[in-house]
Amino acid sequence: MDEEYDAIVLGTGLKECILSGMLSVSGKKVLHVDRNKYYGGESASICPLEELFSKFGAPPPDESYGRGRDWNVDLIPKFLMANGQLVKLLIHTGVTRYLEFKSVEGSYVYKGGKISKVPVDQKEALASDLMGMFEKRRFRNFLIYVQDFDGQDPRTWKDFDANTQNMQALYEKFGLDKNTQDFTGHALALYRDDDYLLQPAITTIKRIKLYSDSLARYGKSPYLYPMYGLGELPQGFARLSAIYGGTYMLDKPIDEIVIGEGGHVVGVRSGNEVAKCKQVYCDPSYVPDRVRKKGRVIRCICLMDHPVPNTKDALSTQIIIPQKQVGRNSDIYVSLVSYTHQVAAKGWFIAMVSTTVETDNPEQEIRPGLELLGPIKQKFVSVSDYYEPTDVGLESQIFISESFDATTHFETTCLDVLDIFKRGTGEEFDFSKIKHELGDEEQ
Amino acid sequence: MATTKIPEQKVILCGEYGVGKSSIFRRFTNNTFVTATDRQSTLGLDHFDKIYTVGDKTLKLQLWDTGGMERVASITSSYYKFAEAAILVFSLDNVSSFHTLSQHLLDVVTYAENAKIFLCGNKSDLEGSKPQVTDADIETFCEHCHNLISGTYKTSCKLGVGIEEMFTDIACHLVESNRSRLELQSMEKHGFKISPREEPTEDSCLC
Repeated sequence: MDEEYDAIVLGTGLKECILSGMLSVSGKKVLHVDRNKYYGGESASICPLEELFSKFGAPPPDESYGRGRDWNVDLIPKFLMANGQLVKLLIHTGVTRYLEFKSVEGSYVYKGGKISKVPVDQKEALASDLMGMFEKRRFRNFLIYVQDFDGQDPRTWKDFDANTQNMQALYEKFGLDKNTQDFTGHALALYRDDDYLLQPAITTIKRIKLYSDSLARYGKSPYLYPMYGLGELPQGFARLSAIYGGTYMLDKPIDEIVIGEGGHVVGVRSGNEVAKCKQVYCDPSYVPDRVRKKGRVIRCICLMDHPVPNTKDALSTQIIIPQKQVGRNSDIYVSLVSYTHQVAAKGWFIAMVSTTVETDNPEQEIRPGLELLGPIKQKFVSVSDYYEPTDVGLESQIFISESFDATTHFETTCLDVLDIFKRGTGEEFDFSKIKHELGDEEQ
Repeated sequence: MATTKIPEQKVILCGEYGVGKSSIFRRFTNNTFVTATDRQSTLGLDHFDKIYTVGDKTLKLQLWDTGGMERVASITSSYYKFAEAAILVFSLDNVSSFHTLSQHLLDVVTYAENAKIFLCGNKSDLEGSKPQVTDADIETFCEHCHNLISGTYKTSCKLGVGIEEMFTDIACHLVESNRSRLELQSMEKHGFKISPREEPTEDSCLC
């Protein structure tokens, strides 16, 4: 450890692992440390099942749960958008070679106490039970408009300037009612609240396009999920970093981030060892004095021996409960994965219900989500604070990631990572630095 | 030649730091050997494919190196996933690298349940007249692990001895065990790899 590094990365969560990989690839000498014995931090998948039970202070699982090590349970539920930022990062970095994926089978939205498939194309819009007959036609026209919309070609704008006019105005242009606006904004554009209505429509149009482009890639739904759980993602990037010379240390407590003259970071101390460095990249848990609490997220892991009712027995699903449907300010998300992803023993399903906490009784808040699931064998509830940095790092050279938010996909994760990389290195990440002969020499 | 898909078999190298895993990897990829002082050049090595023909069957051995992660941390469990074979490597001149094999074996059976396991004593050129690890030791080890070991080999990366024979033999074992399994394996159990999207043709309006 007593060496000098360009960068020391603390924590092996997904964001830190992506950063570590990007830094190593860019030729930086990287030391990557985690206080835990395992890779992944908050974004690890817990294996075996016994560990999950003991983590939540529950008595060990009985034999009905099958073999403990057939389970890999995520602590934070997320899916990848098939055409999203993380998939692009995986492809450009070559980390995709370490992983296998499955398409998520169903994407549903909650309305008036029941769930319906999210309609994404004209055909589905006309068949959907979410809207009345006339509304369907208006929604179909809206979808066609979004599909044809091209930011570079004003002819496709149809007398609407998406860069200056807001989303509310676009909905009104097509005469969409509140219900349709609700599932469009929350289940297609994946907004967590309604602030987007007053922002330029262009962002929402792009988000809807991301949804339908993602859907077009592998069918069924726009979401992908990795075999063996989300914990595979940080590990893939950690391997990338190691392949490019990054040094890994696990089970290493960090006692101090050493600050030198002028407030710059100069190293990291563990016991009486000090590793010198020019920069530190870390998650909020390593620098409690440089972050502030932004809010709280409740997540409830539910182990079940059946799929979610009314989803055509899908082995993987996402259900979005738009805020207004249940009188809230932020959406409730339900995600389901199962044995088919090698994250549970044969015949078992893992559902996760999560949302941003708004009251003093968060468990009550996720009730509408839990009620959709049918009988639950075992439930684990966690409420965690999420943090954002108060120090952007330009002076201290300490670059801190934000905690994982309640969104069900990785788009915000990637934006945060790319932004940190840019702040830390002063440049955008250059994907051409990855030696693609890695793959080319296979001939 | 027809482009029928050749079955791909992931083979991983396991063992202590410094027993010569990367040397085996390098012999496999381009049949070269570098001395310890040139270690840095392992950077950027990930995995390498090579085609073997056994009788009328061909298969692609895809050899993976650890990337040096075992030096101070542990290897990610991902490394083991989807592996069809694992080579436990120790150094014939280093008895402790042999004794820690049981830990590596445990990792393999935990994270890569279905993998066939092979044992490789490397640095046979340094063995000398009084071997640190005897054939009897190796035999006892194999017995202790209930014949989990499908084959044992001695190699010298420095001299280039035994490497090719080892991989050919591993290829034979894999063809043998796959004959039945490949047919049984349903696509259901597997996911897919994501790959760059083919350029859509109607992209002309981008300009």
